[in-house]
Amino acid sequence: MDEEYDAIVLGTGLKECIISGMLSVSGKKVLHVDRNKYYGGESASICPLEELFSKFGVPPPDESYGRGRDWNVDLIPKFLMANGSLVKLLIHTGVTRYLEFKSVEGSYVYKAGKISKVPVDQKEALASDLMGMFEKRRFRNFLIYVQDFNQQDPKSWKDFDPNTQNMQALYDKFGLDRNTQDFTGHALALHRDDDYLNRSAIETIDRIKLYSDSLARYGKSPYLYPMYGLGELPQGFARLSAIYGGTYMLDKPIDEIVLGEGGRVVGVRSGDEMAKCKQVYCDPTYVPDKVRKTAKVVRCVCLLDHPVANTKDALSTQIIIPQKQVGRSSDIYVSLVSYTHQVAAKGWFIAMVSTTVETDNPEAEIKPGLDLLGTIRQKFVSVSDYFEPNEDGVQSQIFVSQSYDATTHFETTCLDVLDIFKRGTGEEFDFSKIKHELGDEEQ
Amino acid sequence: MSTRTGAAQRPNGSTQGKICQFKLVLLGESAVGKSSLVLRFVKGQFHEYQESTIGAAFLTQTVCLDDTTVKFEIWDTAGQERYHSLAPMYYRGAQAAIVVYDITNQDTFGRAKTWVKELQRQASPTIVIALAGNKQDLANKRMVEYEEAQTYADENGLLFIETSAKTAMNVNDIFLAIVDELDENVEVPGPNSNKLSKFSLLNKTVGVLSKALFAKIVFPISINRKDSIISCDPSL
Ligand SMILES: Cc1cc2nc3c(=O)[nH]c(=O)nc-3n(C[C@H](O)[C@H](O)[C@H](O)COP(=O)(O)OP(=O)(O)OC[C@H]3O[C@@H](n4cnc5c(N)ncnc54)[C@H](O)[C@@H]3O)c2cc1C
Ligand SMILES: Nc1nc2c(ncn2[C@@H]2O[C@H](COP(=O)(O)OP(=O)(O)OP(=O)(O)O)[C@@H](O)[C@H]2O)c(=O)[nH]1
Ligand SMILES: [Mg+2]
Repeated sequence: MDEEYDAIVLGTGLKECIISGMLSVSGKKVLHVDRNKYYGGESASICPLEELFSKFGVPPPDESYGRGRDWNVDLIPKFLMANGSLVKLLIHTGVTRYLEFKSVEGSYVYKAGKISKVPVDQKEALASDLMGMFEKRRFRNFLIYVQDFNQQDPKSWKDFDPNTQNMQALYDKFGLDRNTQDFTGHALALHRDDDYLNRSAIETIDRIKLYSDSLARYGKSPYLYPMYGLGELPQGFARLSAIYGGTYMLDKPIDEIVLGEGGRVVGVRSGDEMAKCKQVYCDPTYVPDKVRKTAKVVRCVCLLDHPVANTKDALSTQIIIPQKQVGRSSDIYVSLVSYTHQVAAKGWFIAMVSTTVETDNPEAEIKPGLDLLGTIRQKFVSVSDYFEPNEDGVQSQIFVSQSYDATTHFETTCLDVLDIFKRGTGEEFDFSKIKHELGDEEQ
Repeated sequence: MSTRTGAAQRPNGSTQGKICQFKLVLLGESAVGKSSLVLRFVKGQFHEYQESTIGAAFLTQTVCLDDTTVKFEIWDTAGQERYHSLAPMYYRGAQAAIVVYDITNQDTFGRAKTWVKELQRQASPTIVIALAGNKQDLANKRMVEYEEAQTYADENGLLFIETSAKTAMNVNDIFLAIVDELDENVEVPGPNSNKLSKFSLLNKTVGVLSKALFAKIVFPISINRKDSIISCDPSL
């Protein structure tokens, strides 16, 4: 360990692994350390199942759960948008070649106590039970408008200025009722609250288009999920870093981040070993004094031995409960994966319910989500603080990532990573540094 | 300095018969010659001053056997083994492993045994493990006796062979022996059934997000946010 590095990365969560990969690819000498003896930190998938039970202090699983080794349970639920930024990062870094994905089967939205498939094209809109007959017509017209909308061609704007007029005005133009607005804004445009209604319509039009672009990749939903769980993602990026020379040390406690002149970092100490460096990149848990709590996220892992009702027995799905439907100000997300993703023993499903905490009783807040799941064989509730760094790191050269938010996708994760990379190196990441001749070109 | 001799057969473009794909991982102490063995097998080359592995951690080699095309997807450790920090992903789905030691260095043989144990614990129970005693050309400096390694291999059900990445001795042989062994692990196929099909990696899943698949939609990429973040050359 007693060597000198350009950068030391602390923690092997997804963000840190992506950063580590990008730094190594950019020619930096990187030491990547984790205090745990496994990869992934908070974004690990826990294996075997016994480990998950003991982590939450629950008596070990009985034999009905099958082989413990067949389980890989995520601690943070997220899906990849098929056309989103993480998929782009994966492709451009070549990390895709270490991973396999499955398309998530369906996307559902909650209305008045029951769930319905999110309609994504005109045909589905007409068949949907989310709307009455006349409303369907109006929604169909709205979808056609969005589909034909072309930012370059004001004729396609149809007497509406999406740059100056807000989204509420666009809904009103098509006479869409509150319910339709709700699932459009939250399940298609993926807004977390209703502030978007007062912002210019172009933002939401773009998001709906992006949703349908992602959907167009594989059909059933815009989301992808990696085989063996999300924990594969940090490992894939760690491998990228390693093949470009990054050094990996797991199971290594960090005792001190050593500062020098002007409060600039000069190294990292573990016991009586000290690694020198010019920069440190880390997750909030390594620098408790440099971050502030901004919110709490509640997450509940539920093990089920059956699919979720009214999803056509989907083996994977996402359900969005728009805030208004349950009198809240942030949405509740439910995501479901199963044995077909090699994350559970045969016949088992893993559901995760999560939201941003708004009260003193977080577990009660996710009840509408839990109620959709039917009999839950075992559940594990956790409430985690959401941390943000106090400073941009330029002075100390210690760059801290934000915690994982309640969104069930990776868009914000990628933005944070790219932003940190830019702050740390003063430049945008150059994807052309990746040698693509390795491996997949051979055929 | 590099010398080129006949590498294993390469595909000649015509894809008759069956195709199957294996993931093969290499394990062993640093500097025992893992990368050199791969380089010899895949490119028919040897570098006297092979650098510690950086950048070349995933190679493929295709071998034609009878009417079957076998594609090896070969994973090198990429230095993660230095501090015993290999990720589970590395073993995941591997049908075969070559555990390498250096016959001139007793310690590397001890480490090889540890890797075998690790594989038995972490990897698929049906994984085929081959033990390679490398640097056979340096037999005059031998520290690990052939018989000792052979006995150990027999006791643990491993294939065993001594190799030299330098002279190419037994290098193709070890890969071919693995194919043979994998072949035996598969049930006898019916006349039209796809022999070895259980190894095909991509069925059912969306599969590897190949560049080709995404090329059309993904390039050029940009994240339209105030402070535009990624930009990329579509010709990648
Ligand atoms: C399907 C899709 C694909 C996209 N692809 C691209 C792209 O290729 N290029 C590009 O430049 N921009 C893309 N975007 C836009 C980009 O994601 C957003 O502009 C960006 O994430 C905004 O970040 P933020 O931090 O403001 O919002 P955030 O708060 O990070 O999240 C965005 C919003 O999406 C909601 N949300 C998103 N996904 C889910 C989900 N799965 N479940 C529940 N809620 C969700 C969140 O609640 C939130 O309101 C895409 C967006 C979507 C919806
Ligand atoms: N004489 C001789 N030297 C060899 C042989 N195989 C490899 N070497 C040399 O041994 C050194 C290390 O070989 P590598 O292939 O880099 O070893 P490695 O196991 O990949 O090492 P790491 O990447 O550090 O894990 C190089 O200098 C090679 O030239 C061999 O069969 N005979
Ligand atoms: Mg090597």
